[in-house]
Amino acid sequence: MLEVSALCAHYGRAQILHGLDLSVAAGEVHVLVGRNGAGKSTTLKAIMGLLPPSGGRIIFAGQSIAGREPFEIARLGIGYVPEDRRIFAELSVAEYLEVGRRPPRPGLAPWTRERIFALFPPLAALERRPAGRTSGGEQQMLAIARTLMGHPRLILLDEPSEGLAPVILTRLGEALLALKAEGIGILLCEQNLRFAARVADRASLIERGRIVWSGPMAELLADAALRARHLAV
Amino acid sequence: MTLLRAEGLQRSFGGVQAVAGVSFEVAAGELFALIGPNGAGKSTCFNLINGQLRPDAGRVLLDGRDITGLPPRRIWRLGVGRTFQITATFGSLTVLENVQAALLSRQRRLFGLWRSVAAEDPAPALALLARVGMAEQAHRPCGVLAYGDLKRVELAIALANAPRLLLMDEPTAGMAPAERLSLMALTARIARESGIAVLFTEHDMDVVFRHADRILVLDRGRPLAEGRPEEVRADPRVRAVYLGEEG
Amino acid sequence: MIGNLLAQALSGLASAASLFLVAAGLTVIFGVTRIVNFAHGSLYMLGAYLAYTIVTALPRGPLSFWGGILAAALAVGLIGVLIEVLLLRRIYRAPELFQLLATFGVVLIVQDAALAIWGPQDLLGPRAPGLRGGIEILGSRFPLYDLVLIGIGATVLLLLWLLFHRTRFGILVRAATLDREMVGALGVNQRMLFTGVFFLGAALAGLAGALQLPRESVNLQMDLAIIVEAFVVVVIGGLGSLPGAALAALLIGQMQAFGILIFPKITLVVVFLVMAVVLVLRPYGLLGRPPPPHAAAHAPPAPPLAPLSPTGRRLGWLALGLAMLLPALLGEHALFVLTELAVAILFAATLHFIMGPGGMASFGHAAYFGIGAYAAALLIKHLAAPMEAGLLLAPFAAGLAGLAFGAFCVRLSGVYAAMLTLAFAQIAWSAAFQWVEFTGGDNGILGVWPSAWAADKRLYAWMTLLLCLGGALLLRHAVFAPLGLALRAQRDSPLRAEAIGINTFAVRWVAFSLAAALAGLAGVLLAFSKGSVFPTYLAIPRSVDALLMVLLGGVQTSLGPFLGAIAYTGLHEQLMRLTELWRAALGAVIIALVLFFPGGLAGIRLRRP
Repeated sequence: MLEVSALCAHYGRAQILHGLDLSVAAGEVHVLVGRNGAGKSTTLKAIMGLLPPSGGRIIFAGQSIAGREPFEIARLGIGYVPEDRRIFAELSVAEYLEVGRRPPRPGLAPWTRERIFALFPPLAALERRPAGRTSGGEQQMLAIARTLMGHPRLILLDEPSEGLAPVILTRLGEALLALKAEGIGILLCEQNLRFAARVADRASLIERGRIVWSGPMAELLADAALRARHLAV
Repeated sequence: MTLLRAEGLQRSFGGVQAVAGVSFEVAAGELFALIGPNGAGKSTCFNLINGQLRPDAGRVLLDGRDITGLPPRRIWRLGVGRTFQITATFGSLTVLENVQAALLSRQRRLFGLWRSVAAEDPAPALALLARVGMAEQAHRPCGVLAYGDLKRVELAIALANAPRLLLMDEPTAGMAPAERLSLMALTARIARESGIAVLFTEHDMDVVFRHADRILVLDRGRPLAEGRPEEVRADPRVRAVYLGEEG
Repeated sequence: MIGNLLAQALSGLASAASLFLVAAGLTVIFGVTRIVNFAHGSLYMLGAYLAYTIVTALPRGPLSFWGGILAAALAVGLIGVLIEVLLLRRIYRAPELFQLLATFGVVLIVQDAALAIWGPQDLLGPRAPGLRGGIEILGSRFPLYDLVLIGIGATVLLLLWLLFHRTRFGILVRAATLDREMVGALGVNQRMLFTGVFFLGAALAGLAGALQLPRESVNLQMDLAIIVEAFVVVVIGGLGSLPGAALAALLIGQMQAFGILIFPKITLVVVFLVMAVVLVLRPYGLLGRPPPPHAAAHAPPAPPLAPLSPTGRRLGWLALGLAMLLPALLGEHALFVLTELAVAILFAATLHFIMGPGGMASFGHAAYFGIGAYAAALLIKHLAAPMEAGLLLAPFAAGLAGLAFGAFCVRLSGVYAAMLTLAFAQIAWSAAFQWVEFTGGDNGILGVWPSAWAADKRLYAWMTLLLCLGGALLLRHAVFAPLGLALRAQRDSPLRAEAIGINTFAVRWVAFSLAAALAGLAGVLLAFSKGSVFPTYLAIPRSVDALLMVLLGGVQTSLGPFLGAIAYTGLHEQLMRLTELWRAALGAVIIALVLFFPGGLAGIRLRRP
């Protein structure tokens, strides 16, 4: 579904991505792991068009999307959940979902408020509350729910576990598995390997803006030496 | 000999303790690395020392003198040079003028109106540039330099007030892998030659373990481990936080 | 007594209602697009003119009156869409000052269009049918129409609230005001949103203008009068905040209503003083918030400045030498033009110094020009001092004003700095305009003539050339001296500058005050050549003149102010000679400049390999 090849990206003149290759299939959770500063968030921003790539190709559902505007990329079916969640603090939860709403996508069961609340039950009680006055876990759910209202085929999810309590994390993991069962592809950036182990099918190790290893998640979990080489100090 | 001493630094943002009691010492001529996973508090810790942030509690002592909460420009005058994560140079000025600005500032001559900068003797600035291998590019504007060269210019600027302490925030971020080690090797050589203490944060573990004399690992605002590279590498708690196996 | 106060309060509410309508559009447009729309006042004026045309063309009656008002508002909304699609859409990424100037270009074009269509005379519209009279409230008569206006203001506020909370469009607008990049990443096409917001804002301005029809005559000065008030309201309320605009409109409406009673002499000063105080204490206004952090874009570094090559230097001295010969060859009118040109060069050079190398925005540079001129003129008027004393005092007084105002202005950046400099300039202007006993008010101060030895026009032109070119060259030299180096350094990277011990505030402050002092010298030299000073010396158009000269010449080139002042003065003269519609032509030139030559004239020269 998503094919990224030789992707390069710069912040000003600092080069962050040095020719990165990556792919995500429908109904697959692909986790991108690596030390911080390796280029995980930048990869997601470059795919989303928020940081226009300076080289390489990004093919989504058969179309080249490198260099297109974020709103076009979103309309093609990519959802983006940023690391800092970037909530619209003054909007109520109901309004918040409205911002993300797009016309239904053929071939996908459309997301409605009811389905969202079924996926994230705690949100149902908060409809009128300003998003700025919800907890960290609720904000994370909101950020995912907002993008679901656009009926994405692929979701880019940046460090969702950050700052969340274990209970919330469990619920989040279940929600991601439910999305995966719907056939939605998920590209996940994650430092918390335990959380990633619960949801991911495949993993890629990113180091200094390049993919240095890619394979089944189980293989990464089984190979302590591999992890130590690329993740440990 | 201890040059920099941080004592019980604390700082919180909106109820979240970003740095919760960090103490360490850096000796003259030593390369000291501050590392840790995302959200460990390294940047905050770093900014408490360089004056960008004021600690809620704790003290920062430079050669025994309390510099806690002084603004960055005062700290610079006490002999502390800095480089930034995303290089900060004066893009419209030439490489030479960048260094000359720092030299003029050191001599407190920056409000002069009469004598033009071009009439200054370029020798001291060129000597600094020669130390970092940038003398040939002295007359190019910084705005057109390659990123790796900008990092070298930053180093020359930081050296312009003959610092006793260098603070380097992610010195190799954004550089091509091959350039990283050469920049740090250069930094290490200059530090040892001149007896400068270097405090740096860094993501690239090759850089850290090859060049740091000592390492402090932070996790969630607290010191987790401190010691020589091989000690830190062997510490199981450090492995756990880096491998994402906690929590 | 109580009836009087109530009537006064109600009349304050009525003006608050129209102020709110204008300010609401302005603030919503800013919130989403981050553009400060100078042409918003022109849309208001167009609303009034269009309503006049429509209502007088239709048969009399309530239906045609209110229908005409509504039709005018919608028509202005469509004109707003036209402006957005043709112009603003191309400059969303341009620096703020360029955006402000481009919309000022629209102001000029609309002014001439209105003049051509509706003529120069004031037009008196019909009264609202059935609302001609007044009603008695606690013994005071109060116009019925004003009560209706208050009702309309409240209704529009309610409707806007519903729009922003109950419709998808409104929710998207609020979300985009908070974080427009994220809204884009959710699949919302920002272009449609921006156009929609512009339609809404323009229609509100048009409505406000149309509703003035029964209250005051429609004239060509409505645009600048209202835009300055709307800026005050929006800045006090917080740029981008609708509740802030409502609150500030109430505040200003009441201040104007009661200010007339309490301190009639300084009502204007008080209004701008409130704005300045708010900006100093709460730079983002009463209910505003700092711009979203993600909005900041990577600006390319300014091009490097280099001293002239030996050949260039020789050419420069040659040009200077020729300029100094000119007064010997010219006739009386040409001498006067030459004097004006020299003054323009120095004035432009002072603004360039703070904008180019300094990277500061000023929309009120005329303040220092005028304060210099007024200081000398007042000295002569009240103490009968000679010209020499005036020439000495002017840069001193303007420099002091620069120190005082600059202490606040140089702390802010972008739109906020532009607005604060504007506020200070308007304070100075209001003082000159309203304090009639001391400054002569609108009549200005006459009899500001040179001493006997400089009375000869030729000699005076020589002196002006010498002082102006000397001043401009001094500033040019300063750019390459340590102060200029520090100034450029803090512009390129404030973080790095502080990290090498540069006190960036002090550097900016000193540069601002130096520029102000020399602007004062330019002002006083013009005053003595004309023999008079008027409040126009301090007014917005003069600040804009200087901005245009600087932009025309190129902000980031050291020859810019010289080329810009010559080109602008020449262009101005030629346009005025060639066409009645010189304002529109000038506006078109400004817009073309912003769109196609953002580097200015010197920039064109630089672009050649």
